[in-house]
Amino acid sequence: MSRSIRYTASPLLTSKTPVWRSKLVVAAIALGFVGLGARAAFIQVFNNDFFQHQGEVRFNRTLPLPANRGRILDRNGLILASSVPAPSIWAIPEDVELDSSQRQNLAKLLGIELAELNKKLADEDKNFVWLKRQIEPDRAKEIADLNLKGIYQRTEFRRQYPEGEAAAHIVGFTNVEDNGQEGIELLYNETLLGRAGMRRVIKDRLGQAVEQIGETVAPVAGQDVQLSIDTKVQFFAYQKLRDAVLANRAQAGSIVVMDASTGEVLALANYPSYNPEKRTNLSGAQLRNRALTDTFEPGSVVKPFTIGLALDSGRIKTSTIIDTAPGSVTITGATIRDAHPHGAMTVEQVIQKSSNVGTTKIAMQLPASEMWDTFSGAGFGQKPQIEFPGVVSGRLRPAKSWRPIEQATASYGYGLSASLFQMVRSYTVFSHDGQVIRATLLKNSDPAVGVPIFSADTAAKVRKMLQMAAGSGGTAPKAQTAGYSVGGKSGTAYKQMGKGYGSEGNRKYRSWFVGMAPIEQPRIIVGVMLDEPSAGKYYGGEVAAPVFSETVQQTLRVMGVQPDIAIQPQIVAKAVAESF
Amino acid sequence: MTRVNVLLVLAILASAMYLVSVQYESRRLFTELERTQREARRLNTEYERLQVEKRSQATPARVERLAREKLQMRQVSPGITMYLGSGEAAPQQP
Repeated sequence: MSRSIRYTASPLLTSKTPVWRSKLVVAAIALGFVGLGARAAFIQVFNNDFFQHQGEVRFNRTLPLPANRGRILDRNGLILASSVPAPSIWAIPEDVELDSSQRQNLAKLLGIELAELNKKLADEDKNFVWLKRQIEPDRAKEIADLNLKGIYQRTEFRRQYPEGEAAAHIVGFTNVEDNGQEGIELLYNETLLGRAGMRRVIKDRLGQAVEQIGETVAPVAGQDVQLSIDTKVQFFAYQKLRDAVLANRAQAGSIVVMDASTGEVLALANYPSYNPEKRTNLSGAQLRNRALTDTFEPGSVVKPFTIGLALDSGRIKTSTIIDTAPGSVTITGATIRDAHPHGAMTVEQVIQKSSNVGTTKIAMQLPASEMWDTFSGAGFGQKPQIEFPGVVSGRLRPAKSWRPIEQATASYGYGLSASLFQMVRSYTVFSHDGQVIRATLLKNSDPAVGVPIFSADTAAKVRKMLQMAAGSGGTAPKAQTAGYSVGGKSGTAYKQMGKGYGSEGNRKYRSWFVGMAPIEQPRIIVGVMLDEPSAGKYYGGEVAAPVFSETVQQTLRVMGVQPDIAIQPQIVAKAVAESF
Repeated sequence: MTRVNVLLVLAILASAMYLVSVQYESRRLFTELERTQREARRLNTEYERLQVEKRSQATPARVERLAREKLQMRQVSPGITMYLGSGEAAPQQP
């Protein structure tokens, strides 16, 4: 009979401890294992997100794929603004260990003072500080070659503006973060910006990407914006304007050149201007885009609209005689005068000699509401249809509130205000067969569809008057240019100083000229304005018309327009002289 | 039976080694691709930069200055231009 020796019955192990104790220990250990197993399953199977994520963070990297900002081009595809890489230098001050000669060297390469560099690196609590943003790539390479500890680079993009100050007001500029601040850069910021892409990669110990995870989000490059500006026209318009402002010791000036058949702005410049790449110490005067933001009473420039309306409605003919003697007229107690009394004259001569009295007498035959319709139709007091930062609409009060004297002054351009740009655009009425057309800053070669204001016949008649005004008997003969017939209207106004217009001998003027060429089939409209010319001459016909003349001459040549008036050729004589 | 097992173990070892080498090769190629793409981007931006550079060397302001000062040229005027019309629009000059 077999006899099992019970574990507990072993005489060597005889103990008084009860059996349940050892069983309890076994159970507790088993429970511990079950607990571990459950925890392991919980972490690895059911709730693994947290550690998965932590793991990925340690070797996955999301790399941004930068999108280039679009370029701004002129009408011929020449670059007005483009982004170029410009490394920025940054440092971790805590890690920087430089001796004094290295510091000196670095400061020189960065183009900053040594003291400034020391100050930037002094604060050791910071772990990021820009030393200099957007430096030349060549300089950055030299700095990289120095192999300095704690100094790093990051590629950023900087805008370059090859045309510099000539096109500054149109193109505008961006800030260091690549966002538009002014001009087209601001207006079309969204279009130009593009969208950055990204991709995820696994990086190894050395920081090299070894594998790509998932899909790449490709960057969307910013779109190019093509303007209607012609770089050549823009440049010499700016150049002629600058010369005139300096020669006449004027405060400022503006010039606008517009294509008469498409409404495209070929050039828009202001002086003083600035270099968009070096924008330190900029003054408000330099930044001001006067052609679009400064309004003033357009004066004589408005007279052709009054006369045009009277002609169009059949109230007068071009040959109608208007008696302007004795050179003044009194309307409800206020007297309107001409600079020189003219006596009886035809309607054409009223424009040619720019007679306030003649215009007033014609205007008094017109209903105020019709005048208002014509003026506002031509864009006065209306928001110009181009969008541009800071663009203004000028002022034209409703016809209902016009008193007779206000109607009279409005007929020759006082009591309303407009920017130079609005005046230039309003003259499309005369250049485009009586229709006012939409102005645009973007390239668009389709002929514009206009809103009729006058009949084509009236527009042609007014053009003839404008030609006379720029002719030898007119107010602005200096607007004439070799080879091309021109027509236009000059204006001169006292600038408001405080409450009045200043006293005799202490007045400030604003002078301008708006005209078109060639007069039979206008191709361009040019407006020139000079603010406070103070070198003796101040009439629009004296100071602004010469700028008009030179600009028209060169613009039409660039556009390849054949001269429409006979010119004295100098080619033959020259050739003979040179061949001997 | 044992022989089959040994064969299978060898096969699995060979395949594992091959996997390692393929993985290695793929990572190496990927880094190379990476480097080439970076080079392409760099060349692209360099191209952009040179375009702008070229443009700024040919601005009207610079061209005009050089033409006037270095080449002693002057502005053309209609007086010294021969206009060649197409067909009917004959030039006005004698």
